[in-house]
Amino acid sequence: MELNDRNLQTLTEYLQKTLSPDPAVRRPAEKFLESVEGNQNYPILLLTVLEKSQDEVIRVCAAVTFKNYIKRNWRVVEDELNKISDPDRTAIKANIVNLMLSSPEQIQKQLSDAISIIGREDFPQKWPDLLTEMVTRFQSGDFHVINGILRTAHSLFKRYRHEFKSNELWSEIKLVLDTFAQPLTELFKATIDLCQTHATDINALKVLFSSLALISKLFYSLNFQDLPEFFEDNMETWMTNFHNLLTLDNKLLQTDDEEEAGLLELLKSQICDNAALYAQKYDEEFQPYLPRFVTAIWNLLVTTGQEVKYDLLVSNAIQFLASVCERPHYKHLFEDQNVLTSICEKVIVPNMEFRSADEEAFEDNSEEYIIRDLEGSDIDTRRRAACDLVRGLCKFFEGPVTGIFSGYVNSMLTEYAKNPGVNWKHKDAAIYLVTSLASKAQTQKHGITQANELVNLSEFFVNHILVDLKSPNVNEFPVLKADAIKYVMTFRSQLPKEQLLESVPLLVAHLQAESIVQHTYAAHALERLFTMRGANNATLITPTEMAPFTEQLLNNLFKSLAVPGSSENEYIMKAIMRSFSLLQEAIVPYIPTLIGQLTHKLLLVSKNPSKPHFNHYLFESLCLSIRITCKADPDTVDSFEEALFPVFTEILQNDVQEFVPYVFQVMSLLLEIHTSSIPSSYMALFPHLLQPALWERTGNIPPLVRLLQAYLEKGAAAIASTAADKIPGLLGVFQKLIASKANDHQGFYLLNSIVEHMPPDSITQYRKQIFILLFQRLQSSKTTKFVKSFLVFINLYCVKYGAIALQEIFDDIQPKMFGMVVEKIIIPEVQKVSGQVEKKICAVGITKILTECPALMDTEYTKLWTPLLQALIGLFELPEDDSIPDDEHFIDIEDTPGYQTAFSQLAFAGKKEHDPIGDAVSNPKILLAQSLHKLSTACPGRVPSMLSTSLPAEALQFLQGYLQAATVQLL
Amino acid sequence: VNNNKNSNDNITYRSFKNKGKEPTKMRDRRIAECVELRKAHKVESIMKRRNISSVGDEEPLSPEDNTDNKQVISETIQEIVANVNGECPEKQRQGCQAARKLLSRERNPPLKEIIEAGLLTRFVEFLGRNDDPTLQFEAAWSLTNVASGTSWHTQQVVEHGAVPAFIALLASPMLNISEQAVWALGNIAGDGPSYRDGLIDCGVIPALLARLTPDAPVGYLRNLTWTLSNLCRNKNPFPRFSAVQQMLPSIIQLLHHSDKSILSDACWAISYLTDGPNERIDVVIKTGILPRLVELLGFEELTVVTPALRSIGNIVSGSDLQTQAAIDAGVLSALPQLMRHPKSSVQKEAAWAVSNIAAGPCQQIQQLITCGLLAPLVDLLRNGDFKTQREAVWAVTNYTSGGTVDQVVHLVKCGALEAILNLLQAKDTKTVLVILDAINNIFLAAEKLGEVDKLCLLVEEVGGLDRIEFLQNHENNAVYRAAQALIEKYFSEDGDDQCLTTEATDSNFVFGPSDLQKRFVF
Repeated sequence: MELNDRNLQTLTEYLQKTLSPDPAVRRPAEKFLESVEGNQNYPILLLTVLEKSQDEVIRVCAAVTFKNYIKRNWRVVEDELNKISDPDRTAIKANIVNLMLSSPEQIQKQLSDAISIIGREDFPQKWPDLLTEMVTRFQSGDFHVINGILRTAHSLFKRYRHEFKSNELWSEIKLVLDTFAQPLTELFKATIDLCQTHATDINALKVLFSSLALISKLFYSLNFQDLPEFFEDNMETWMTNFHNLLTLDNKLLQTDDEEEAGLLELLKSQICDNAALYAQKYDEEFQPYLPRFVTAIWNLLVTTGQEVKYDLLVSNAIQFLASVCERPHYKHLFEDQNVLTSICEKVIVPNMEFRSADEEAFEDNSEEYIIRDLEGSDIDTRRRAACDLVRGLCKFFEGPVTGIFSGYVNSMLTEYAKNPGVNWKHKDAAIYLVTSLASKAQTQKHGITQANELVNLSEFFVNHILVDLKSPNVNEFPVLKADAIKYVMTFRSQLPKEQLLESVPLLVAHLQAESIVQHTYAAHALERLFTMRGANNATLITPTEMAPFTEQLLNNLFKSLAVPGSSENEYIMKAIMRSFSLLQEAIVPYIPTLIGQLTHKLLLVSKNPSKPHFNHYLFESLCLSIRITCKADPDTVDSFEEALFPVFTEILQNDVQEFVPYVFQVMSLLLEIHTSSIPSSYMALFPHLLQPALWERTGNIPPLVRLLQAYLEKGAAAIASTAADKIPGLLGVFQKLIASKANDHQGFYLLNSIVEHMPPDSITQYRKQIFILLFQRLQSSKTTKFVKSFLVFINLYCVKYGAIALQEIFDDIQPKMFGMVVEKIIIPEVQKVSGQVEKKICAVGITKILTECPALMDTEYTKLWTPLLQALIGLFELPEDDSIPDDEHFIDIEDTPGYQTAFSQLAFAGKKEHDPIGDAVSNPKILLAQSLHKLSTACPGRVPSMLSTSLPAEALQFLQGYLQAATVQLL
Repeated sequence: VNNNKNSNDNITYRSFKNKGKEPTKMRDRRIAECVELRKAHKVESIMKRRNISSVGDEEPLSPEDNTDNKQVISETIQEIVANVNGECPEKQRQGCQAARKLLSRERNPPLKEIIEAGLLTRFVEFLGRNDDPTLQFEAAWSLTNVASGTSWHTQQVVEHGAVPAFIALLASPMLNISEQAVWALGNIAGDGPSYRDGLIDCGVIPALLARLTPDAPVGYLRNLTWTLSNLCRNKNPFPRFSAVQQMLPSIIQLLHHSDKSILSDACWAISYLTDGPNERIDVVIKTGILPRLVELLGFEELTVVTPALRSIGNIVSGSDLQTQAAIDAGVLSALPQLMRHPKSSVQKEAAWAVSNIAAGPCQQIQQLITCGLLAPLVDLLRNGDFKTQREAVWAVTNYTSGGTVDQVVHLVKCGALEAILNLLQAKDTKTVLVILDAINNIFLAAEKLGEVDKLCLLVEEVGGLDRIEFLQNHENNAVYRAAQALIEKYFSEDGDDQCLTTEATDSNFVFGPSDLQKRFVF
């Protein structure tokens, strides 16, 4: 590709076309550019268009195309084609800095990004003159140029903030420091001087302050890994100037915008971060400066307004104080009562106030408000920072701080009492203050788990919270109501049970509130109270205590779902689920009505599932309805099927992906309740469950396996007689599953059910193939999980079909196969089997192999008999071997790139653990003793002689214990 | 049989607990990190020293001697050159003395100018003037101060043939001359491994040791000890074993001296000798010096405690046996007090030593518990300065990867978990990753006890969950993956790789193994 006018023209035309809204024009143009980008000179042509074109839009387009080209192709990957020729690389590096600096801002940003991508690969070795080129520009005096350089430097250096220390990295930093630190310092000083010279020129100031903000960011990057010698020597310069900048205020730089942070705020935020970095990491060297910064930052906080634009600055500044005040050797900076009082009064209290922005969110954006307030996604908010500061101060000054705040709380409450209508926000702040002061440790599950002993939570509840809860007008002062509800929820583990019980009916009443936040909090509070545990792990609040309010509770919960904005409210749905779970049989009378409402809801949301949590709790509630009702009367299962199957059919037919796994779980639950034969409605669905499309979705696999297991348990005979042609398909599913390291255990669940329930004749012809598949997998990718499942399966097979059948089928596949499996798999790995039932299956299976398999007594396999017995005794007596080979540790994470959590298990659709052996064998040790006794009577003398020659003494001792317990002897 | 079983157990246990990480790797993490951004460490001993003392009866320096005026200095040097190159002994002495005074100025001694004036040849010559001890002394002093400069300065002294002359002077009957030679040789040895080995080749060690007599004055012994320490200093390569063997008995002897300065330099010598592979450490341990080192840990003087602690730290970064030798010598009862030392540099080194002991087998971890090191360790995690906290974090991670379940539980009960969770806010990526590793180890222990839920609550209570969640946004891939893995594994309600293919139609999977039938061998 030559660098000529024709090629420039063509390139310009194609660039133009890539901007077309019409895909028929745009796509071919994009394809064309991609097809020619491997040619030499292509990037140079792009840069020429970028530089020379008259059309501003084409220039920007060329810049973007260039940056993406660099991003895709600059890195040279070993063994792959180098997509950019060396002459082009050299030419790009020679020109790009200049080009960037002479371009308008929009293009400058793209080229700056391109430089940092190139820099990441080539800097410093392959681009040695970059830094000097950049540094020279500092002297240009042109701040447009200087800011371009600073921005590029920032994108080159910011990785120092997160990369691990290495000699390579530190050598680079050292090189950067050697060339860059001094000029940067000079630039910093010069820029500050210029700010004074131009103190009245707003346009100049804006440019200069952007430079200062960038310089401060560079400072952070260059100082992050360790304190460089240069900056230690020049700390005075930097810190003095940073300190001055923190205290600086220029009216011209104040912006009118309430939301967006201005230059001054951005700069000061960065300085707070820089100071925090030094305070945390370079404590010893920074100590002389720290008190000044504490004072400056504290003054800054006192003088900064409530506008949203200051939020980041204020939260960074408070976080700085919070991190300093809990360090033992700075304790003295805060110790003075006056200082503490000022911090509480002027920094903490104002930042805890309910602002108009909060009020707007409370009313108009309740969902976001709830997430922030309830779920703690408030990391960067002022309130959060203020709370962190309270906690930090309490480390050393819990008493004084509590004392000071008590005064504030009282005065705020007095203010409120004077005129609640006007002063309600004072009470809100008072409650917030008490909450933050009292909370020492908190979890979602239990609320506050450790409280400040100096705060009397119960008394505050009686005096100030109960009033709002009891207020006859639920819709008055919704914020205070929400506060009161949240208080009960937060301190539920601290308040005495009587107070909680007193609150329950009040909370039920608040479910009727119009305010979404308020009724959501009420639902959430009730849900949390219902999960609390009392003595003997029973629920703290009993169904009996709830009896008087049951109807009201259920009514109000379902009514609140009808409020616009709450129709898919997950908190309410969760409260419904929890209420069902708590109340148990008390809900049976209401179910006929409620099931209609729930199915109706399900039908609505299945049109467009958007709230995963809501939907999950909806299905949980359905499961609870079924379980509780059918427990009392299993025959009602039909009526549930009648109500649910139409909706389920619709969901399955429309393939509502989110709901399909839930439907399978509920169906499993229903099918398992049936006591007689499998209903024909289920049998009709059976072939559809084997469709490969369903199994391709990972989320479907566990519930579908569970459902097929239910089919096998209840309808194996029906399948064998009426759907025998489907057996290969069923086994196909098993084959599909065991091929996957992630799903092989599911394949075994299915296989175990087949072996356990299917009439033997129906699967005889497939048995050999099943084993061949298992052996293939064992050969190609043996993992611990697979081996564990495999062991359980072959032993279950042995229990069901006998040891001889097992040995014969193995040896039929390949001569001496049985011996190889016993020697290489069973004996060395059986200690890894986990689970009571699984261990029992293995114990019984191995006992059968030992005592009912003549080949093991009479052929070359005989040498395996004692080791196998020893392994069995080990299974009984030794701790489980939970070691995993090194190469398997990360399988779960690394080998599942497309991992998606589409499967959500329903807790209340849970399956009981199934023991295929059951009561037939109550104690496997006794079974072993009896079986050995029986064997020894068949061939007297052999068993004791095998034992005495090669069984270790310790194992023998255990075995004798079993024989005694079974009161048998070996002959 | 018994032995065999133990070692086998050990292998399983290691390969599991440390997840494929060799313990030795964790110990040696103070890898050769040569690149430094910081200023050279203030507490380390000095590599080269200039002699700026003044002789007792001398008058204070004249104003000219202290000027930075190039003109004046240049004139002075010209005068020196004239005097020194002349044949008059009196003038030579005067010239030499003037040079020495210039070179002993507190600020900006004109080392380069003296060299460029071509004076070194004469000075080295004067070293051999046994007939004129004053001249010898002044020349030796001047050369000592030139050699105290940069490598280039030292090089000039060596290349003028000063080494053999100084070694010969060691035997001088005049103590002050011999002492000056000791000092000069110390400066040359301190320059680096190559001059150090050059000196050793010239037989400096026997010549020095010959002067180590009970009646030698303390000042002399101080210089001698410092020079010996420089002969032990520097790696790449280490001083050869035979040289070390020659010096060690004397260094051990000096370690029992009562003078603090001698003790300090003797300790530094030990610290250099132990800062290497295990066979280097072994040589030191075999001298039986460990109990004395432990005793020195209890001294008040920072100058003694620092190198003693460094030596102990080096030794416990060695093999399990070497670490055990240090433990048997009582190091664990000395460490708690050092972890509470007012100087943070001492706290840091102590924490480093603890981190290396914690990387050992669980028996040694048990001894950390028994000797009460966990409480001060947790204190350091909470209140230490950042560098100390970083070492303490390593201690927790090593402890939790090698400790038994009970030991891990004990550590958590001591408050370590809460403390490290707080440090997840540290502005140091590696530290954050190491903490995540520790948290993961603690969860593995909880899994074995079936207490994962309880641990989840504890982590959440103290604000750890928020911080781990926040780290899922970390710029560093390793950190965000580790955080994500913890969240997914332990904090979220709820994994494909194909090896056999299953054909599928629209309605069914096709059951049956592929035709390709291999022989099975497991």
